[in-house]
Amino acid sequence: MSRSAPALAFVVVAGLWLSGCGGEGADGAAADATDPLHGGRPRVAYVSNGVDAFWVIAQAGAEAAAAAVDCDVSVHMPAEGLSDQKRILEDLLVQQVDGIAVSPIDPVNQTGFLNDLAARTTLITHDSDAPDSARLCFIGVDNYEAGRLCGTLIAEALPDGGEVFLFVGRIESDNARRRRQGILDVLLERASDPERTDADVSLSGPRFTVLGTLTDQFDRAKGKANVEDVLSRHPDVDALVGLFAYNTPLILEALAGAGRLGEVEVIGFDEADETLTGIANGQVHATVVQDPYMYGYRAVEILAALARGDRSVLPEDGFDHIPARAIGADEVAAFRAQLDERLGLDG
Amino acid sequence: MGAPRLQARGIGKRFPGVVALADVDLELAAGEVLAVVGENGAGKSTLMRILAGELRPDAGELLLDGEVVEFASVRDALARGVALIHQELDLAENLDVAANLCLGREPRRGRWFTDPARERRQARPWLERVGLDADPSTIVGDLPLGRRQLVEIARALSADARVLIMDEPSSSLSLTETERLFGVVRELARQGVGVIYISHRLSEVEQLADRVLVLRDGRRAGELHGGEVTHDALVPLMVGRDVSRFHQRTPHEPGAVALQVEGLTTREHPGHALDFTLRAGEIVGLAGLVGAGRTELLRSLFGLSLPVSGRVRLPAAGAGARAGHGARAGGRARAGALRDVDFSHPADAVANGLAFVPEDRKADGLLLPCGTDDNLSLTTLARDRRGLCVDATAARRVASAAIADLDIRVTAPDQVVELLSGGNQQKVVLGKWLALRPRVLLLDEPTRGVDVGAKAELYGIIDRLAGAGVAVLFASSEMEEVLGLSDRVLVMHEGALAGELPREHATEQGILALATGAGAATGTGGTGTAGATGNGGAAGNGGAGA
Amino acid sequence: MRKVLGIAGLLITVCLITALASEHFLSPFNIENLLRRTALFGILGIGAAFVIVTGGIDLSIGSMVCLVGCLVPWLLVQQGWPVGAVLPAVLVLSLLLGAAHGWLITRLRLQPFLVTLCGLLLYRGLTRGITGDQTVGFRGGFAGLRWLGQGRIELPGMDGFALPVPVVVLVVVAVLAGVLLDRTVWGRWLQAVGHNESAARASGIRTERVVLGAYALCGGLSGLGGLLFVLDVGSAQPVDFGNFYELYAIAAAVLGGCSLRGGTGSILGVVLGAAVMQVLRNAIVLVEAIPDNVEYAVIGAVLLIGVAADELVRRVVAARRRAKAA
Repeated sequence: MSRSAPALAFVVVAGLWLSGCGGEGADGAAADATDPLHGGRPRVAYVSNGVDAFWVIAQAGAEAAAAAVDCDVSVHMPAEGLSDQKRILEDLLVQQVDGIAVSPIDPVNQTGFLNDLAARTTLITHDSDAPDSARLCFIGVDNYEAGRLCGTLIAEALPDGGEVFLFVGRIESDNARRRRQGILDVLLERASDPERTDADVSLSGPRFTVLGTLTDQFDRAKGKANVEDVLSRHPDVDALVGLFAYNTPLILEALAGAGRLGEVEVIGFDEADETLTGIANGQVHATVVQDPYMYGYRAVEILAALARGDRSVLPEDGFDHIPARAIGADEVAAFRAQLDERLGLDG
Repeated sequence: MGAPRLQARGIGKRFPGVVALADVDLELAAGEVLAVVGENGAGKSTLMRILAGELRPDAGELLLDGEVVEFASVRDALARGVALIHQELDLAENLDVAANLCLGREPRRGRWFTDPARERRQARPWLERVGLDADPSTIVGDLPLGRRQLVEIARALSADARVLIMDEPSSSLSLTETERLFGVVRELARQGVGVIYISHRLSEVEQLADRVLVLRDGRRAGELHGGEVTHDALVPLMVGRDVSRFHQRTPHEPGAVALQVEGLTTREHPGHALDFTLRAGEIVGLAGLVGAGRTELLRSLFGLSLPVSGRVRLPAAGAGARAGHGARAGGRARAGALRDVDFSHPADAVANGLAFVPEDRKADGLLLPCGTDDNLSLTTLARDRRGLCVDATAARRVASAAIADLDIRVTAPDQVVELLSGGNQQKVVLGKWLALRPRVLLLDEPTRGVDVGAKAELYGIIDRLAGAGVAVLFASSEMEEVLGLSDRVLVMHEGALAGELPREHATEQGILALATGAGAATGTGGTGTAGATGNGGAAGNGGAGA
Repeated sequence: MRKVLGIAGLLITVCLITALASEHFLSPFNIENLLRRTALFGILGIGAAFVIVTGGIDLSIGSMVCLVGCLVPWLLVQQGWPVGAVLPAVLVLSLLLGAAHGWLITRLRLQPFLVTLCGLLLYRGLTRGITGDQTVGFRGGFAGLRWLGQGRIELPGMDGFALPVPVVVLVVVAVLAGVLLDRTVWGRWLQAVGHNESAARASGIRTERVVLGAYALCGGLSGLGGLLFVLDVGSAQPVDFGNFYELYAIAAAVLGGCSLRGGTGSILGVVLGAAVMQVLRNAIVLVEAIPDNVEYAVIGAVLLIGVAADELVRRVVAARRRAKAA
């Protein structure tokens, strides 16, 4: 009998712990459901396309806006991709929120689902658009334009042209595709056409050759290995471009491992800490930043207004563009200070 | 009358490096029980597998009702009415009896669904025919071994078998189960089924067979009919030399107490407390029907199963026994004193000088894919280690000592145990304990599935160990073994000790009476009564049991 | 030994084909990368091998990599712990978690698959909770510590080639593991338990402790792997760091000759198995003709062909040996 006592104790404790967790979740949901809906503060939701520091900045913006316009916002970051995001959105519908801002992971295939959402609540998209869906508007950078901006930064870093390689987490999301296309169109000196899509082959223009694009499906070790393998296969590559926030730090890691920091130009997107440090000490030429804080801020502002019946906040063409900026050596210090302030890290 | 039901002419079979069968003839008439005997490796199983379509012969031909046949597969043989029942039963233990009976021929409802109700209806008459009173919806795994055997026979019959081949069907059955099986076999023969019966137990062969075919080294060594079938006639044919007795028991003078059990109750039979004593140099047989609790008792003593209550006592350290290794037992007491031990793990039992040879050597005794030497040195690795590492030299020494000592026949010390014969495997299971010099040796069915020659050797080894002062407690379902080897017989019945018979009063009938509960009233107190019963029934050897 | 020859043959074949298809494959830089990645995955594979030898399985390896991989930078950077405290803490933690798996499996008699599957979920969830789902990284600091993961040791007389430090770690781990498995009493017991736990128990071996030790070791090596991974990559994302690495580890162990039925295992084989996986992934990037998105298909096909060829060769050899004996 005494032999099984520790086992029994374990089972009991584990059971209590599990039921405790479950209970907490259930209580929270119940509180939400009983909240009077249209009495006062609108309840809106802000859904990202994954988990990243980028979204933490957006969350800060969303929460700042919620305080400013007097509404409740819940921020959700799906950790397991498409199906996780769908689950979260469905749960939000069940909770009857007054509006949802979502960054669709796979806009083309999610269109039907997004239309269902739009039919049952106020839906807007941010960061990555689903132009064919019934969403009311899109908040974010025009990724094609951001890509073009990145292309000009590459051209600025390599005035005589050269060979370029691109790295990205997933190419199927719209923002990745458009960024890449923007870069290609500038480097290959073609006319602006956001709808063009080039296959992943080596492409040469008058001055630049884009050797290829590698994806890592968000596996960091794989992302780094991709850069290393490109350095092996193309020892003479002139510039490496990271299309997603975490790609640029991985490029730096791989270059450091190869002892080639500073020899190869690095251009990135977004404001990962390592990227900004790299710019400050000259290892990264520049980065194209969006303004995630404003994504969050504008999304909540628009949703709250719509929930109160004010449709004047909707832009005419459905695009609420938040322009991308280039952060080079000259801008990095000021940018960092602003970032820390928004994240509440200053001091 | 005409042609025999099944006939084999000039059957030959070679395996790489071995001639398994050479020019063997066999005839089986309808309604006949033919026993096939021979030492392990004599070719019995190979012959049976050829008859049942599992193997193709290299030479010779098979005739069924006078017609030459060639079996392409087991299925083919079965379709023509020849069924083989393996020693290890081929039943799906997680399915019920009816499902097993219909396996592969399930009645269906529509095209896709099984029809359990019809399965059960179909199963019933066959179960009645083999005298199995179990409900068809019983899960096979819940049945005792003997009844599973009957399920397998019923399955063969339901497939319209007219020739039934049984490979050592009784090896794991208790006495009553064996008796029941014999009844079924006789009844089937009466109904015209031809039965081929393989067994190591010569007394069974004497009782059951109309005719006996003896194989030796893949050839026919002889054939005996009806009245000629006796133990003394069979053994010389099998081993090719005159072995008048299996074993010589040298009388021992029992020494000091080596193990004392007081009020021990086991998990399986918590209602019965067991009390007995083992003395150094004594061989005690543990008799009883299957399920009487013998295995559970041995496992409880060895720490493999935790007893519910009671005391197990061993001589205190220094009481004439090996010092050291006294893991859990307390204190140094004066010579002759006993101390309580509490084994929660076999490792504790081993540390206190116990050794155990389990019933199923393949499942619980051996590392089958490993070398003989690795198996033999498994128990001594910890004792002989150098730092953290294995002392390979010591391990080799232990292994070769055991191989030489027990005459284990291997091509090389590292020969894989799986490839050894049953007798040699059993010697390995026993041999791994020798280097530890145990004081108490527990054996569960020490000669199961072992041929006659190896049995004699194992008896010799056990006898020798007892002579060296080891206390031996062995459980056996073979009456000859219990009677021949024991100084004393403990008989168990449904978890309780039904009685104790000293060697001179132990008889088959006496033991059986206690084991079946018939002698329970008189057993414990009166060995004389049990002995008298034995004397009375000694003449009718074939009529024992129900 | 024969099993090792099989996997070595596969490795050499894959290397030869890749070297013929890409001039860059044999460049010193690429070899260094391959060695380092093999070392990282090899350490995980060795941990998996110990558990597989007992006839068990550990599905929590990837999550353990994630837990340690995220805890190290989180403790160092966010919590300000000293290096001297963090390293022992995470290694002991992973060892204890592994031992807890072993305890649940041997004492509560829970199935290894189930226990470690729960571990897989539990550790990833815990990590995400602890870090608040945030990417954690070294922010360019801790160069000395990170030398363990990304450092290189210049070899005299080898121009342009240096030995990645994780390879040294792997060699140490592999040698110790090899000695442990093949030379020590504990290793023998482990193999005995894998072959027949019941027989090992009846021989007086405390099989529960042996099995518990194997799971502890697997946990510890997963932790060590996680540490080296994050030191190499520089940052870790709780959501996906180490995702599916248990499958790479198990594949390396099984390719290297560990039978999932237990009993047999070869440390050298496991390391070679890990190398095959990494060369394949490398080849897919280096060789022009292979599109990147069929990566998994290529790995799956090559492994299948390799294992099938190994089995066929074994049968032919066995048949020939029998024929000779007859």
